[in-house]
Amino acid sequence: MTTPTHQHTPRVGAGSARREWPLFLLLVACLGGAAGVVHWLDARRHAPPPAPRLSEELYVSPQAARRLSLGFNGLAADWYWMRTLQYVGGKVTAHKGRIQIDDLGALELRALAPLLDHATTLDPQFMAAYEYGAVVLPAVDVESAVRLINKGIEANPRAWRLRSHLGYIHWQQGRYPEAGTAYGAASAVPGAPGWLGVMAAQMSTKGGSRDTSRAIYETMLRTTEDDQMKRLALRRLLQLQSLDEQDALRGLLAAHRERNGGRCAATWRELAPLLRQTRLKSDASGSPVDPSGVPYLLSYDKCDVELGLRSEILRSY
Amino acid sequence: MNERAVAPAEARGDDAAARPSGTPLRRVRVIAANAFREVVRDRVLYNLVVFVLLLTGAAVFLGELSAAQEAKIIVDMGLSAMLLFGVFIAIFVGVGLVYKELERRTVYAIFAKPVGRGEFLTGKYLGLCLTLAVNVAVMGAGVSLALAYVKGGPDPLAYRIWPAVALIFCELMIVVAVALLFSSFSTPALSALLTFAVFVIGHFSADMRSFAASTGTAPARILFAALYYLLPNFSHFTYITDASHGLTPTPAAFAAAILYTLLYVAVLLAASTLIFNRRNFK
Repeated sequence: MTTPTHQHTPRVGAGSARREWPLFLLLVACLGGAAGVVHWLDARRHAPPPAPRLSEELYVSPQAARRLSLGFNGLAADWYWMRTLQYVGGKVTAHKGRIQIDDLGALELRALAPLLDHATTLDPQFMAAYEYGAVVLPAVDVESAVRLINKGIEANPRAWRLRSHLGYIHWQQGRYPEAGTAYGAASAVPGAPGWLGVMAAQMSTKGGSRDTSRAIYETMLRTTEDDQMKRLALRRLLQLQSLDEQDALRGLLAAHRERNGGRCAATWRELAPLLRQTRLKSDASGSPVDPSGVPYLLSYDKCDVELGLRSEILRSY
Repeated sequence: MNERAVAPAEARGDDAAARPSGTPLRRVRVIAANAFREVVRDRVLYNLVVFVLLLTGAAVFLGELSAAQEAKIIVDMGLSAMLLFGVFIAIFVGVGLVYKELERRTVYAIFAKPVGRGEFLTGKYLGLCLTLAVNVAVMGAGVSLALAYVKGGPDPLAYRIWPAVALIFCELMIVVAVALLFSSFSTPALSALLTFAVFVIGHFSADMRSFAASTGTAPARILFAALYYLLPNFSHFTYITDASHGLTPTPAAFAAAILYTLLYVAVLLAASTLIFNRRNFK
């Protein structure tokens, strides 16, 4: 025998909605009240003390972080990488004066080396982190930069790029024999491009020359994927071009002076015939312009050439 | 078929019982299909929506934050999320597979038919593995699409991630088997806790080995060495970071990992069946 059963399903009709509206009202009112209390508390709370320097220190060692990552080490490395970029970006933004990405020594980036160490210990094949370390870290702590790249070379012995980064660090520090050795080692890696051998030879003969610098930054511009690095390389190449142009202009000034009994040219117009013989670009008034299009200044007192005040060549990054 | 299976199904006169009971493989297949349907009905695959949102967000916003590393981060994030979501499903659904049947007492109806307890467990296991396979495949396709979107066209990385995806699935297969083993004799809460502990320890296997090598006393050395070989070793399935650099495991390493999975799952299912056989449902 079956007993008829009624499925009792609660229905939300107009009546029940009317009964429930005080509840909704109470909910909204309490939520608004809670937000108000928080706002009141925030307004009365004392400003937090300035962050201690310890806040820049990392709590776990890179090895511990790797162990604790439970197979998510790649993701943890990405986290440290983005934290590195935010850390440097934050310091650059807070800095008032002009600054270049490869000359951030003034920013006191104490946590930069540990952050990059963490990122590369968690992911030993993280080439972008090594490259960033090779360019940015030497101005902060050159030995940490060398250690970072050497660690990368140990983990990736077939990565010629890391050895060339090591060469770049040594070259920046004026250690040309070490730079030559590093570029030589890079060229010996199977599959390495031919220019590394040329660079190795160049280091021992004319390590500090503009040609070497140009070759290094042209390579950086060609090979890097990082926009910041590309901008840095481009800027350095423009600076090198400007230095060449300034040398050429000094040569013209000297020639003019020689022809005019030791008198320096007062305006660029006086040099117009000589300027026309060169490939230097000029503006409508006949003044030679730098690679950013701003006219060079002629210093009559020193009989020398200088960058214009609005020149973009020395602009910060 | 197991001797504990209750035979007189014909007495109830239902369709399944009226038909010949079929081969053990068929019975396992039917249970697996049912388990799969049950898990899908539980809306477990809704996690794919979260995954898609995560990947879309990563693909759109990470370009600005990562300095040209968005492809690497998409792979790291996508495959890590795949593993994490998969582990949660394996643990929380895996521990409930048997428990729910016991709690609802549907297990009596099942064992009233000519179904062995081993077949029941294997079917349940395969059903959840099928769910995870669908989950992992859809997530893998999502990561590949996100990579193509970021690259603006076909990206070799999009297909080089698939061996790592397959190994994540292998790892999840072991985690499901571990969850099933614990749930065959313990409560869901304890089973989940123990399974998670095994997942964590499985990623510390390299440390276990170094403990074994560095410990001074012989018993401790033997203990750690025994634990190293007894507990699942997940370090051989961890290719997420390599995949983000376009690196794939060697064919030998890949095949060995799959063989290890099959052997270990067989061990765990056999152990689960042995324990489950001893349970009294009266």
